[in-house]
Amino acid sequence: MAFLIEFRDVTCFTEGGRVVFDRINLNLSEGERTLVTGPIASGKSLFIKLILGMERPATGSITVLGTDTSALTLNELRGLRKKIGFIVEDNILISNLKVIENVALPLLYHAGLSYNESIRRAATLLTSVCYKGNPWEMPGPLPLYVKKTVAVARSLALDPRIIVCENLSEGLMPSENAFLSDVIVGYQEAQAGRMAVFTAAAGADVSRIKPTRVVRIADNGLVETAGA
Amino acid sequence: MNAFEKIGSFASARLRTKYEILAITASVLKSGALHLRRGRAVTANILFRQLYFTGFEAVPIISWIALILGLVIVTQTLSILPRFGGEAMIGDILVWVVVREAGPVFAAVIVIARSGTAIASELGSMKINRELTALEIMGIDAMDYLVMPRVIGTALSVIILTFYFETVSILGGYLLAGFGKSVPFSAYTASILEAMTFLDVAVSLLKSAVFGLIIGSVCSYHGLMAGQSITQIPQKTTKAVIGSLLSVFVIDGAITFIFYM
Repeated sequence: MAFLIEFRDVTCFTEGGRVVFDRINLNLSEGERTLVTGPIASGKSLFIKLILGMERPATGSITVLGTDTSALTLNELRGLRKKIGFIVEDNILISNLKVIENVALPLLYHAGLSYNESIRRAATLLTSVCYKGNPWEMPGPLPLYVKKTVAVARSLALDPRIIVCENLSEGLMPSENAFLSDVIVGYQEAQAGRMAVFTAAAGADVSRIKPTRVVRIADNGLVETAGA
Repeated sequence: MNAFEKIGSFASARLRTKYEILAITASVLKSGALHLRRGRAVTANILFRQLYFTGFEAVPIISWIALILGLVIVTQTLSILPRFGGEAMIGDILVWVVVREAGPVFAAVIVIARSGTAIASELGSMKINRELTALEIMGIDAMDYLVMPRVIGTALSVIILTFYFETVSILGGYLLAGFGKSVPFSAYTASILEAMTFLDVAVSLLKSAVFGLIIGSVCSYHGLMAGQSITQIPQKTTKAVIGSLLSVFVIDGAITFIFYM
């Protein structure tokens, strides 16, 4: 199995100089579903930012899809990020675009599709996540769960091999969390080369995803515990 | 910190702001020239929306102001000129006032009031809601996607509105000159065309293009400088308006000095 994400002797500090990760090593392969857990401020968000190249390690290297992110320019990093579907915890949607345009945005910008074709595909994606509302409404007043549903559809728009999901269960009812977990796991399992990384404060928050690996952040390092 | 250090620190902060605004303008021009293909459809869509809002929707207010200004200038001119050499100078005065100065400056001021505030507050709101971070996560350059079409759209709108303003103002002047004072239309237009040189039109175009680029850049800069609190949005919008007005008048003075002194 090929490694899609590799951390090699990565050391990272907060802005205040506190050590968050001290020479951590981790390989994440295609087909895996990894859960990264840890208490608040343990470094889960930093772990994700390192994958996306939004933070750089003080020492060590991070390789994503075969590319060492530390060697990339900002434009090259943007090119890499479009290959990763990221579902951010506060499910930020672009406020001046309608729901369907939010989902179509990556298709319009990166895939170079026409507006009509992008909208058609965005509508299919919204259907696949069982979006029941009006796709032509503005996202501002939508409830949290609906916004998260739209964010999931948007993250899958470019058919990414890597899905990164930050604290999915945050603010959701158990049934809503279960449904979105099923959508993401279903997408990841649909093709052999895909992998997913979830973060959560505790394993029970995302038990529905049945991770193949569970990694706990502790003592500035990563401790692997048994997966499903 | 002593008085000299305070002055130095203040001047340094001001210079840094000017440098960053010019960096945005340079980045927009580079982005427009080199990266137009990237995200072309979606960027073009934002550019057209900006043109519609800043250019087309400003037409009624621009029309009224231009019409009234034309009437006022011709009224004043006709009341003074009999003492200074006759009504033949009406064309010269309209070109001096409207084409060289009032057209670009009035169009810029109206665009600052309508669209500059909108750009600053919209970008400020997006920054505070972390929408810029969302774009970065999707691999979308906020400068390409958000700032470039707004600045280019503003610049094109100011150019179009300037020439529209000048045309309506000159026609407005004829309403009085023609119908009030029985100046023939052919004499009126001949007087204007005789007074207007290529330099006047070129300087008007240059002023409007530079004003548009600077208004877009200043307003985008202040919007993007919003931090964590929603109360910063009106503060940044005010700074954007003041900064844009000051920039427009300083640049207007500089261009006028360079070309007409």
